[in-house]
Amino acid sequence: MDNSYQEWKKLAKKEIRQEELDSLFWDTPEGIRIKPLYTAQDLSELTYTDTMPGLFPYIRGPRATMYVNKPWTIRQYAGFSTAEESNVFYKKNLEMGQKGLSVAFDLATHRGYDSDHERVMGDVGKAGVAIDSVEDMKILFSGIPLDKMSVSMTMNGAVLPVLAAFIVAAEEQGVAVEQLSGTIQNDVLKEFMVRNTYIYPPQTSMRIVGDIIAYTAKNMPRFNSISISGYHMYEAGADSVHELAFTIADGLEYVKEALSRGLAVDDFAPRLSFFFAIGMNFYMEIAKLRAARLLWAEMMAQFEPKNPQSSMLRTHCQTSGWSLTEQDPYNNLIRTTVEAMAAVLGGTQSLHTNAMDEAIALPSENSSRWARNTQIILQEEAQICRVVDPFGGSYFMESLTHSLAHEARKVILEMQNLGGMAKAIELGIPKMCIEKCAAERQARIDSGKDTIVGVNRYQVDKEDEIETLEVDNSRVREQQIQRLQAIRKSRSEADVKEALNAITQAVKDNQGNLLDLAVKAMRLRATVGEVSEAIALVCGRYEAKNNLISGVYAKGFLGDQEFMDIKQSVCDFNQIHGRNPRIYIAKMGQDGHDRGAKIVATGFSDLGFDVDIGPLFQTPEEVAQMALEADVHAIGVSSLAAGHKTLVPRLIECLNALGASEILVFVGGVIPRSDYEFLRQKGVASIFGPGTPVIQCAKEVLKLIEAKGKD
Amino acid sequence: MLAQELALGILSQNRRSLARAITLVESSLPKHRQAATELIRILKSQASPRETLRIGVSGVPGVGKSTFLETVGLAMANANHKVCVLAVDPSSQISGGSILGDKTRMQKLSLHPNGFVRPSPARDTLGGTALRSREVISLCEAFGFDRIFVETVGVGQSETTVYSMVDVFLVLLLPNAGDDLQGIKKGIMELADFIFVNKSDLDPHACNRMAKYCESVYELIHTPREGWKPRVMTGSSLSSEGVDELLRGLMQFEQFLLQNSYKETVRRTQKQDAFLQELKIVAWDQFLKTKNNVINKASSSLIEDKISVADALWQVIEGE
Ligand code: B12
Ligand SMILES: Nc1nc2c(ncn2[C@@H]2O[C@H](COP(=O)(O)OP(=O)(O)O)[C@@H](O)[C@H]2O)c(=O)[nH]1
Ligand SMILES: [Mg+2]
Repeated sequence: MDNSYQEWKKLAKKEIRQEELDSLFWDTPEGIRIKPLYTAQDLSELTYTDTMPGLFPYIRGPRATMYVNKPWTIRQYAGFSTAEESNVFYKKNLEMGQKGLSVAFDLATHRGYDSDHERVMGDVGKAGVAIDSVEDMKILFSGIPLDKMSVSMTMNGAVLPVLAAFIVAAEEQGVAVEQLSGTIQNDVLKEFMVRNTYIYPPQTSMRIVGDIIAYTAKNMPRFNSISISGYHMYEAGADSVHELAFTIADGLEYVKEALSRGLAVDDFAPRLSFFFAIGMNFYMEIAKLRAARLLWAEMMAQFEPKNPQSSMLRTHCQTSGWSLTEQDPYNNLIRTTVEAMAAVLGGTQSLHTNAMDEAIALPSENSSRWARNTQIILQEEAQICRVVDPFGGSYFMESLTHSLAHEARKVILEMQNLGGMAKAIELGIPKMCIEKCAAERQARIDSGKDTIVGVNRYQVDKEDEIETLEVDNSRVREQQIQRLQAIRKSRSEADVKEALNAITQAVKDNQGNLLDLAVKAMRLRATVGEVSEAIALVCGRYEAKNNLISGVYAKGFLGDQEFMDIKQSVCDFNQIHGRNPRIYIAKMGQDGHDRGAKIVATGFSDLGFDVDIGPLFQTPEEVAQMALEADVHAIGVSSLAAGHKTLVPRLIECLNALGASEILVFVGGVIPRSDYEFLRQKGVASIFGPGTPVIQCAKEVLKLIEAKGKD
Repeated sequence: MLAQELALGILSQNRRSLARAITLVESSLPKHRQAATELIRILKSQASPRETLRIGVSGVPGVGKSTFLETVGLAMANANHKVCVLAVDPSSQISGGSILGDKTRMQKLSLHPNGFVRPSPARDTLGGTALRSREVISLCEAFGFDRIFVETVGVGQSETTVYSMVDVFLVLLLPNAGDDLQGIKKGIMELADFIFVNKSDLDPHACNRMAKYCESVYELIHTPREGWKPRVMTGSSLSSEGVDELLRGLMQFEQFLLQNSYKETVRRTQKQDAFLQELKIVAWDQFLKTKNNVINKASSSLIEDKISVADALWQVIEGE
C-alpha cells in the first residue's frame, strides 16, 4: 500500500508538472484541509468506520433499511395569502406526488400580531399564510384528514396560539390530539441567533419551549415537539461546522430544559427532530448529516437513555436558498438538484427542494412543480433509493465525516465553557460568529475569489423575464380583518377574557402548562394576537441588540484597487463636505432577514461611511424620524419579505411630511425587477437586487449622494 | 443665512433644524465653522435660559451605558423632562468609517416625544471634540432640552474631556472585573459623583462585592467636590433595578448644585478652562504660522550646535 501511494505521488507530480502536491490541497472555509486523494491509511486511526445503519452511532442512517424500504418524505414548505388559497395549493400538491405538508406562516402570525395590527401593514399574507384564529386554521386544512397527513409547522414565536389552533382545528375535524403527527419547529434559540421571529425575552421563551415538550410528551405521541434547526444559521451565513456545532449545542440545551421539568429522557428525546441546510459544497454536506448523527448519539449518552431512539438523530433538510441567484435563474434548477443529491446521499428523512425563482419571489405554480419533480425524479427515475448509505466506507467520506465532527466538537466545547448555548446566545457570541462567516463569504464573492455562475462569472447579457407570484396584501388584510370582526362578534367575550387572564396569570406565577391554557383560549376563539399579548403583558416584547462586526469585509479585499479607489472617494467626500457620507440602514415591518442589512452596514463602514444601523421591525414613521434626527444623507432600506411596495412609499411620504425630502432613499433585497419602475416613480433613488456586490452598492450610493449635494 | 434659518428652527423646536445644526457644528470645514459660530451667537442672544442638568456617563464599551440611558432617560422623559443623549461612538481606526448602533439600544427614547438621541462618530480622537460637544450641548439647551446626557467610551482622555463639560459625572462599572479590581482607573473614580455597578440581574453578589470595593477606595482617596461624597450603587439597566434610587440620588445632587450657586461656579470655571484650552490650540497654530521662518532658522542653528536652547528660544520670541 505504502509503496503504491509513493508511486501515485510520483505520477501525480508528473501530471501537474510540479515538485510538490501543495496546489492540489484545498482549505475549506470551515478550516478543513481536503487532500486530493484518500486511502485506506486515512481510516486506520478513526473509530466507527465500519458501522451498520439503524445501529449506534447511526452514522449510516437512523433506519436499517433507509430508502430501500421507504423513500424520504417529499415535504415542500409553502404558504401564502389566505388560508383558502393555501389550502387549494396544498391539495393540488398532494395530488401531484407530495407526501407531507409543511406550513409557512406570514410574518404577522410569526410575530404574534393579528392581521389588523398597525405594525403589520405590509406583512399580511405576503411571505406565508395569514392565520389569526382557529377559523383560519380550519380552512387551511379543510378536506385534508389530519389523522393521516403529517403536518410540519414552522412556528416559533407565536408557537402557543398556533399549535393550539392546530390542535383545536383537528379536534373540530373529529381528530383527537393523540392522532396528530408532524412537527412543530419550536426552536427559539436559533430565533435569537438568526431567524428573528422571537417575541419574548429568552427566559419566557425557553419556558414556552419546555411547556410544549411536556405537553406533547404527554398528549401527542406521534408529534415531534421541536425541530432543532441549523438550516437558518447556514442561510444566515454560518459555515457547515458552525451550523452543525450550534445546532447540536442547541439540542443539548433543550434536553436540559426538558429534564429540568422532571421529564425522563426517554419521555421526550425520541420526539426531538432536526433540520439542516444543504448547500453547494457537495461532499461536505453529505458528511455533515453523517457527522450530525454521530455527534448526537455521542452527546446523548451522558443522559443515559434506555430507548435507542433517544439518541438517534432524525432530520429534515432543505436545499440552500441562499445559493440560488436572481441572475440567470434556470441555473438554480441545477444547483438544487446537486444539493438534493447531497441531502439524500447524507440520509435525510425528509426534504424540501427550493424553486428556481427563490431569489425573486415566493414560488409560482410552475416553479413549485419543477422543485417537487426534482425529488420525484431522484426517487423514481434515478434509482437513488436502491441502496443504503452508498458513501459508507469511502475513505474520503468517512474521513471527512470525522473531521467535521472533530471541528464541531471544539465549537460545542467552547459554547459549554461559556455556560451553555443559551448563555452564549445571550452574550451574542454565536450570532457574531455567523455574521463574521457571512461577511467573509460576501467578500470572497464580491472580490471574485468564489465563483457564482451568472453573478460574478459567465454572466448573460440579457435576462429572460420570468413569471412571478404576487400577493395583494391589502386584499388579504381586508379579508382577514373581516373574519376577525366576525369572530369577535360571535364569541363570548367574557369567556375569552377569562381564558386570556388565566394565561397571563400562569406566566406570572410560572405555573401550569401554557399550551394547555392556549388550547382552551383558542377553542373559545381567542386570536393569535390576543394570546400573544396575554403573555407579553407580563414579560414584554424582546428587543434584540445589534453588535456589529467590522473590518472583516475589508480584509477580503487586501490590495484590491477598486476597493481602495472607493475608499479614496469617500475620503474626498469628507474633504468637501466636512463629514463622511452617512447612511441609515433600515429594516421595516416584520421582515427579519438581516444578513444583507448587516453585510451592507459592515461593508459600507469598512469603506469609510458612517452607518446608523436601525433596529428590526420599525414602522416607516419611526425610520423617518430616527434618520432625520441623525441627519443622514440617505436611508438604505433592506427589504426581503415583499413589504416594499407598501412600506417604501410610506417612508418617502413620511420624509416629505417632515420636510426631509432631501434624504435619499435606496432599496436593496428581494425586489422583483417588475417593481423597479414603481419604486422609482415613488422617489427611490436606486435599487440593488440580490447578487449586487457591496462595493458596487457603495459606489452608486456615494455617487448619488454627491450628485444630490450639488443641486 | 444658514445660521439664521437653523436658529429659527431650533427656537421653534424643529427637530430637523436641531439635527442639521449638530451636523454643522461637528463639521470639519472652515466655512461651516464660521456658520456654526454665528449660529451659536444668535442662539445665545435669543434663547431664554432655563435650568438644565448636564450629565456625563462613562464606562468601558459593553458595560451598558446605552441601555442604562434608555432606561433612565425614559423615566425622565415620562416625568416630563426633555431628555437628549449625545452618544459618541468610536470610529473604526482603519477605515475612518463607523457603525453607529446606539439607536438600536435607545429606540424607545429616540421615539419618545420628549427624547432625542444623536450618535456621533468620534473623529480623530479628541482634537476639537470638546469644543464641539460643548457647542452641541448649547444647541440642545436652546432647543429646550433640560436633561442632557453625554455618553462616552471610557478610553484615553475622553472621560476628563467630558467631565469638563458636565455638571454631574456618572461612571458605570461591570461587577465581574474579577481579579483586576485594581485595573479600574483611580483617576476615573476621583471624577465620579455616582458609580453604578451595572448588570446586577446577572450576578448580584459580584455587584455588591464591586460596590464594597469602590467604597473602600473612597475611604482612601480625596475627591474634588467639597460637600459631596461619591455615591456607589448597584443595579441593572435591563431590569431597572436600582434605577429609582439613582434618580433620587441625582435629584439630591441637583439640590447640592443649587446650594451656594455651586453649579454656576462650576460652569463658569469650566467655561474659562475651555476658553484657555482652546486658546492654547488656536494661539499655538497662529504662532507657528507667523513665526515659521524664525523657528526653522533657530532650530537649524540649534542642531548645528551653534547656539544654546535658551538662545534659540530667545531668537524665536524676538525674531520676525
Ligand atoms: C437567507 C434567507 C433566509 C434566512 C435569513 C437569515 C438572516 N438572518 O438574514 C432564514 C432561513 C432565517 C429565512 C427565513 C425566512 N424567509 Co427567507 N430567504 C433567505 C434567502 C435564501 C437569502 C437572503 C440573503 O440573505 N441573501 C444574502 C444577502 C447578502 O443578500 P441580500 O439580502 O439580497 O442583500 C444583497 C442585495 O440585495 C443588496 N442589498 C440588500 N439590502 C440592501 C440595503 C442597502 C442599503 C443596499 C445599498 C443594498 C442592499 O446588497 C446585498 C449584497 O449583495 C432568500 C432568497 C434569496 N436567494 O434571496 C429567502 C427569502 C427572502 N425568504 C423568504 C421567506 C418567505 C422567509 C420566511 C418569511 C419564511 C416563512 N414564512 O417562515 C422566513 C422568515 C424570516 C423572517 N424573520 O423574516 C422569501 C421572501 C418572499 C418574498 N419576498 O416574496 C425569499 C425571497 C425566498 C422565497 N423565494 O420564498 N430566510
Ligand atoms: N444582563 C444585563 N445586560 C445588560 C445590562 N445593561 C446592558 N446590558 C447588555 O450589555 C450589552 C452592552 O450594552 P450597551 O448599552 O450597548 O453598552 P455600552 O457599550 O456601554 O453602551 C448589551 O447586550 C446589553 O443588552 C444589564 O443591566 N444587565
Ligand atoms: Mg453605547
